[in-house]
Amino acid sequence: MKSFIAFVLGLALLLATSTLHADGDVGDPVVVRDPYYGDVLFHFYKGDYFNAIVRLTAAQKRNSLTHHDEDAELLRGGLALSYGLHDEAGQIFDQLLASKTRPEVRDRTWFFLAKIRYQRGYLDGAAQALSAIGEDLPKELDAERQMLAANVAIEQGRFDDAIAALDGWKGPRGWSDYARFNLGVALVRAGRFAEGANWLDRVGRLGDDRPEMVGLRDKANVALGYTWLQNEAPERARPVLQRVRLNGPFSNKALLGVGWADSDSGDYRAALSPWQALSDRDLLDPAVQESLLAVPYALGKLNATGQAATKYERAIVLFAQEHQRLEDAIADIQNGRMIDRLLAVEESADDASGWYWRLDNMPDATESRYLYLLMAEHEFQEALKNYRDMVALRENLLGWLDKTRVFREIMDTRKAGYAARLPRIEASLAASDMNELRARHQALSAQLDRIEGERDIYALATRREQQVADEIALVEENPVLRYSTPEVEDVRTRIKLMKGVMQWQAEQDFPARIWRQRKQLHDINRIIVAAERARLAVDDARVNEPERLLDFDLRVATLTPRIELMLARVEQTLERQRAFLDGLAVEELRTQQARLDTYTVQARFALAAVYDRATAVSSNGEGQE
Amino acid sequence: MMQRFTQVLVALTAAALTSTVIAEDTSRELDAEVQDLKKEVLALNRELFLLEEELLFPANSQVALFVSMDIGDFFALDAVQVKINGKEVANYLYSEKEVEALIRGGVHRLHIENLKAGEHELVAFFVGKGPQGRDYRRGAEMTFEKGLGAKYMELRISDRQSKLQPEFFISEWE
Repeated sequence: MKSFIAFVLGLALLLATSTLHADGDVGDPVVVRDPYYGDVLFHFYKGDYFNAIVRLTAAQKRNSLTHHDEDAELLRGGLALSYGLHDEAGQIFDQLLASKTRPEVRDRTWFFLAKIRYQRGYLDGAAQALSAIGEDLPKELDAERQMLAANVAIEQGRFDDAIAALDGWKGPRGWSDYARFNLGVALVRAGRFAEGANWLDRVGRLGDDRPEMVGLRDKANVALGYTWLQNEAPERARPVLQRVRLNGPFSNKALLGVGWADSDSGDYRAALSPWQALSDRDLLDPAVQESLLAVPYALGKLNATGQAATKYERAIVLFAQEHQRLEDAIADIQNGRMIDRLLAVEESADDASGWYWRLDNMPDATESRYLYLLMAEHEFQEALKNYRDMVALRENLLGWLDKTRVFREIMDTRKAGYAARLPRIEASLAASDMNELRARHQALSAQLDRIEGERDIYALATRREQQVADEIALVEENPVLRYSTPEVEDVRTRIKLMKGVMQWQAEQDFPARIWRQRKQLHDINRIIVAAERARLAVDDARVNEPERLLDFDLRVATLTPRIELMLARVEQTLERQRAFLDGLAVEELRTQQARLDTYTVQARFALAAVYDRATAVSSNGEGQE
Repeated sequence: MMQRFTQVLVALTAAALTSTVIAEDTSRELDAEVQDLKKEVLALNRELFLLEEELLFPANSQVALFVSMDIGDFFALDAVQVKINGKEVANYLYSEKEVEALIRGGVHRLHIENLKAGEHELVAFFVGKGPQGRDYRRGAEMTFEKGLGAKYMELRISDRQSKLQPEFFISEWE
């Protein structure tokens, strides 16, 4: 079959392009020589990684991929990665690549392994894979490797390694800025403020106007602004925060920060302006919540006590309302409805399983507005993906459980059929003697050999010719023919003539008759061979069918409890996974509630202080009167 | 006041960090368990898949039909219908994703069944859109001999560059 396909997933898709999954480009043409290899590719390209792996390993076990041995193993590694089995993939590649694989293939494989491990949070594994990359990684992947190395180093706290990786950056514009941002944040967290601020400042001054880069620039400026605020340098924080766009996703945080910068500098009137603008925005954002306290705080500092008290009271009411909405959302999650809703949203969108699936749409539910950020997080997406895969495994196992019942019925029918047919077959076999048939064929064959060898032309004479010959012989034996009269002489001459004609005729027909006899013997032989083959098959079935049925019985008997056991484990894991996801969501909402509670306490304290001050002012006034 | 807010923020961040660490541990455990289960269910599926085939389609009587396609410039496949010895055995509608998988070199096992030894007639109809988007339905047929051992037949759709037309073949997969 001349079908042009990618040179196995493992090489062309997985390794030759930077895309790992089934949507990758088609690489070098190759010929599919084993149909089941093409069948595996069909499932892979469809994005059905699970069935692709099952079919591949089944084909490997029954040796039906003889033309694609090494390719098949690489393909298996690639499929394992696609299905999220990175440990398994690592082992396959390890075994395969250690010895005879070409260096550039090996390097690419390690590169992708590193990427997958990093994405799954296996930093040590990622670092180990990165260190295994040699000198043969293609140039187009080298920039990505460098960035990956920097990110792994940052997350492992190896800041100097990360700095070294980023200093020598030669990759595309924009790529390294994400790593620079991460490095800046990590350095600040590690207490290396000056260095961290320097990296963040570089990203915060990017001249790149692409939307994603403008977003990154805003993010860096917010992080840098707050770093200066934490380090009590409001005059440095303000200009940095003012670089953030007013309509971007980081504008709330920036407005809040600008207000704090003014407030820390003692300019409460200036602080009011950003904070008031902020307090009219959606209360979902913690920065907006904080602004509800910040505004009366500034008003208090400006001695507008009455206004401050009103604002604090308003904040307490709004916090309580928001708290209740969060409580409702938590109750909804605890009723187990969140995950079903999440999966229902995506049900029709994509049926692919494995690594590349992700939740892109949010369900229209109470909790959605609070969980938006959490749901976008890698950990949540990963856990949801695992949950979804477990649901698919449960369906798969339930399907097999049903099928094994059918298998048992099939085997029972076969056993019954076998038992019913066996006596008839044995009787029929007893009545037919294949050896005798074969012997007769051999005797006929030998006789024909003799006739041909001795050129016994009359042996193949027709019945009519035999009759004529017999009649002539009878006439020749007549005593009258012993006389010597002209009439007798005439009869003798006629007999001689007739015998001559007969002999000539038999001589003429002999080759054709021999050929006809040979052909008939050949046809008979063919029939005997077919009968012997059928007999062998019957004998084989008589001897082996009970054994085969027993083998199937045993296999079904051992596989069924395995399915049941696995099903129980899947159910258990599903529950754990569901509880974990619900837990993540509830934890997030509780954190939001805790923040509101803290703000409420702050507001009450501040309100009490305002009242105290007002009472004190009023008492002083009365005293003076 | 400012000091208090900062303290609160720091405390909240610390609390969030601690809970993340705990959550991460559970997440790792669960991820490892999920990977183990996937691996084991895959291995079990392989055994079951082999058992099913051996039980339902023993090698001696097995005949499998495969659909393959190259390039696909002159024919957009919608469906394939197959008759064996005059009886319809398959009528498969291809999704866009499946057609793409075929074009990229995948081979679809369209049908598998048991046939007795001897001669059999196979007829396939390919339905789709031909050149210039016209409705297109073409047939191909072949008589084949089923002997001992599994028999694999290929139903192939191929672009014929010289005539700018698709071609349809049936052949035995050697």
